[in-house]
Amino acid sequence: MHLPDGIVPVEFALAGYAASGVLTAFALSRVNRQPDPRAAIPRAAMLTTVFFAASLVAIPVPPVSVHLMLSGLMGVMLGWFAMPAIMVGLFLQAVLFGHGGVTTLGLNGLILGLPALLAYGFWCAAGRRWPDTAALVAGSGAVALALAIFTAIVLSGLPVALDAGTETVAIKAFLLAHLPLVLAEGVVVVALLRVLRRVEPGLVPHG
Amino acid sequence: MADITSAPKTHAPAQPDPRARLVMALMLAFAFSAVGNALLLPVLGAVALAVLARSGMGARQVAVRLRAAGVLAFGIVLVLPLMAGTQVLFQLGPLRWHAEGLAAGLLIAARLLAIVTVTLALLAPLPPYQLVAGARALGVPALMADLALLTLRYVDELRAELSRALLARRLRGGKGGGRGLPDYGVILAAVLIRSHRRAENLWAAMRLRGYGAGGAPVLTPFGARDIRGMGLAAATGIALVLADRAL
Repeated sequence: MHLPDGIVPVEFALAGYAASGVLTAFALSRVNRQPDPRAAIPRAAMLTTVFFAASLVAIPVPPVSVHLMLSGLMGVMLGWFAMPAIMVGLFLQAVLFGHGGVTTLGLNGLILGLPALLAYGFWCAAGRRWPDTAALVAGSGAVALALAIFTAIVLSGLPVALDAGTETVAIKAFLLAHLPLVLAEGVVVVALLRVLRRVEPGLVPHG
Repeated sequence: MADITSAPKTHAPAQPDPRARLVMALMLAFAFSAVGNALLLPVLGAVALAVLARSGMGARQVAVRLRAAGVLAFGIVLVLPLMAGTQVLFQLGPLRWHAEGLAAGLLIAARLLAIVTVTLALLAPLPPYQLVAGARALGVPALMADLALLTLRYVDELRAELSRALLARRLRGGKGGGRGLPDYGVILAAVLIRSHRRAENLWAAMRLRGYGAGGAPVLTPFGARDIRGMGLAAATGIALVLADRAL
């Protein structure tokens, strides 16, 4: 779920760059407060690579197949590092595969980065007491929030007004089509975090 | 599986340095994005094709890399007229294609294809490591440049490992549908655990070889070709924006 180039007005694209730039700078300032900020790079790179590769893996959820987004998982596992990691992943996807866009990099960073940071906040608050519930909310909630931001940006950025009735139908169809992804991502993140907490708890440092 | 860490072969003459290419790509992409008048679309196409011709990329490489954008552009042109506008152009049963939606769809599709073509022509011929070095030299934080370097170093390996694990699951007759979903979580967790230690060792080795971007970026002065290219891109972008406002 990436905004392609050319679909939103240039003012939106520039505002997206400014907002995601501020958010990334703030996230990096929090990362740099750690004793050795570069120590987290291998874990962040692994997650960025999985983010990068998982978008190419189709998971069959009848009647459709979905591509995982994993921004909630990145938030849970990387904390503040999720925002720069998502920006790097989006940049590489746009330049190497043509997924997403160069002008919409900032907006895409917000669509995936904001839910990741909220998932991190939720995981910090509830992950220790209710890990499975928190993982489900982080995984599914991040996708649902990303969908909402994506829809809002597309609808307000289109150069032509949509017919109100058709718009409602289109939004419902879009959300219905992505419901399998919302559910699938939650289940996958719960299963993944269960394994990591048991086998390699160091990889889930904020729970 | 394609090796994405190497650049496609081109037959281009000497090219501008990565920083200049990034600046040119961004200037042209944003200028194209600012165009709202359909009369300028042929100009966008001509500029994009001129940049593409200069890149020296083969027609097949271009076709492969533009395929996804082409499908998306076609979808936009097909669907937007169904959802927007009042003047009916064509009706098929309950479906009505409207003129206003078609005009908006064509504008979006043309901008999309022109931006993707220019980005592809300017950035795809670069080895990704040079691209990251260029971004670092333009002010991208060292932490993000290091992250990009390690991601690029590891992406092919992890994709191969993920593919192997998914194939093994299929061969073992893994459950289908929703009941099989937790398996994907377990597979991803196993791949993460296996890869993490290797990534830490790899990162330590890269740092020992002085591979990280941790220090200040190396800034060589722009050459005459770089300045000419950036100037031309800026002039083209400004001319497009002014023409769009004037028309």
